[in-house]
Amino acid sequence: MIVSQVMSGAGPFDAITTEALTFRSYFRRWGWGGADHAFRIAPGCDGALSPAAGLQPAPEDVLLIHHSAGWPRLGQLMALPNPKLLLYHNVTPAGWLWEHAPVLAAHCAAGREQLAELVAVVDVAAADSAFNAAELRTLGAERTEVIPLLVDRDKLGPAAAVPTGPPTVLFVGRLSPHKRQDEVIRAFALYRRHRVPEARLMLIGDPVSGRYVQTLRALADELAPGAVTIETGLSEAELGDRYRAAHVFLCLSEHEGFCVPLLESFHFGVPVVARPAGAVPEVAGDAALLVDDPDLAVVAELVHLAVSDAELRAELRRRGDVRLEEYAPERVAARLRAAVEATANGG
Amino acid sequence: MTTPEQAVRSARQAAASMREQGAYQGDTARHESPTADALDERKLWRWALIDPDISDVRSTRRFGAPITALKRTLVRLLDQYHQELIAEQTRFNVAVLERLTHLERRIAALEEERKR
Repeated sequence: MIVSQVMSGAGPFDAITTEALTFRSYFRRWGWGGADHAFRIAPGCDGALSPAAGLQPAPEDVLLIHHSAGWPRLGQLMALPNPKLLLYHNVTPAGWLWEHAPVLAAHCAAGREQLAELVAVVDVAAADSAFNAAELRTLGAERTEVIPLLVDRDKLGPAAAVPTGPPTVLFVGRLSPHKRQDEVIRAFALYRRHRVPEARLMLIGDPVSGRYVQTLRALADELAPGAVTIETGLSEAELGDRYRAAHVFLCLSEHEGFCVPLLESFHFGVPVVARPAGAVPEVAGDAALLVDDPDLAVVAELVHLAVSDAELRAELRRRGDVRLEEYAPERVAARLRAAVEATANGG
Repeated sequence: MTTPEQAVRSARQAAASMREQGAYQGDTARHESPTADALDERKLWRWALIDPDISDVRSTRRFGAPITALKRTLVRLLDQYHQELIAEQTRFNVAVLERLTHLERRIAALEEERKR
């Protein structure tokens, strides 16, 4: 079988690009051919993907379409006679992005409009969470499959014991308004002021714009001077080091189509405190402390509890291991294979 | 031991207790993000006047400082051309917004007239 993967944009640290490349390694293992394409390829992808303009599949080749933003030439893609599998990763509502990343916002606005067109032409509609699959059904998909994001835990490196040193709060995710790093800084500042003055916060992710990072840095300097580090462009090894140094993972994101860092936190045994937004409750299950209180003092106290209560940490670690089994790569790979084969057979 | 199911309730109690002792005074409420709001007229006017920030021109590579410097130099060399583009785009944006504002006022006036 030949499977060509197509995405609107690709980047070296992007979860969807990483997943597509992991899919490719499984395809090779199964004896399947094909290549991976994107319309916009960011520097640093090192030849792993080809420009989508050069995509010329044979009519029976399966097209696996990863949808997370607008497509510049969606018409050309849809006009191809090939069997098509849509894998929907969610599109960030543009309202979050107009202020700081207008071009990305435009792509997201277009991506939401185009999703309905895609749903209408694909043979199989799949999403990486039940939350995302529900969106596909509202757009007319009669049957949807869920293929969770495939996280290659081997790349993350080993977990570690509880770190020493001052309590360290971590959030990993695109530096973007909908991820609410601003709220993470505010909650952390309360925790630091009222509980542990030497606590530290690490924010890690690629920025949607330089201006947004400046806004976050200014807020951090005002509320917790010298205690917040913001890092971008980390290698997988460096990311693993940050998880191993963390005492708690704090996610106050207001829109998540999946949230890979939850699984990464479970892998490293880092307790998770999170807002139950989007797919977060589905992915976290009972292994995270989910809090929807509007009072950030409650969030700060929950962080303190997760850092200081060893038995609670151990229980969360145990539950996190169970969640990881649910998202084990071999399980996800089996779902992926079934969906691709169903697509090749006409859905 | 606090179980995960009890943790949020414990945190609420702890926050209330700390507050009674004088902690967590002032603003601890969740901030609504202004960017999640609908596109209002004031915001559209602000965006209509284009003012690109050169700090957004950067390399995303790990050791990309020299590439960032090169890109910014190129932007400065092309400043005259960019100013022309910005002027034309801003003219269009402002003209469209003025037209839109005018139409909205006309609709409001017509609706008011119809009510009478």
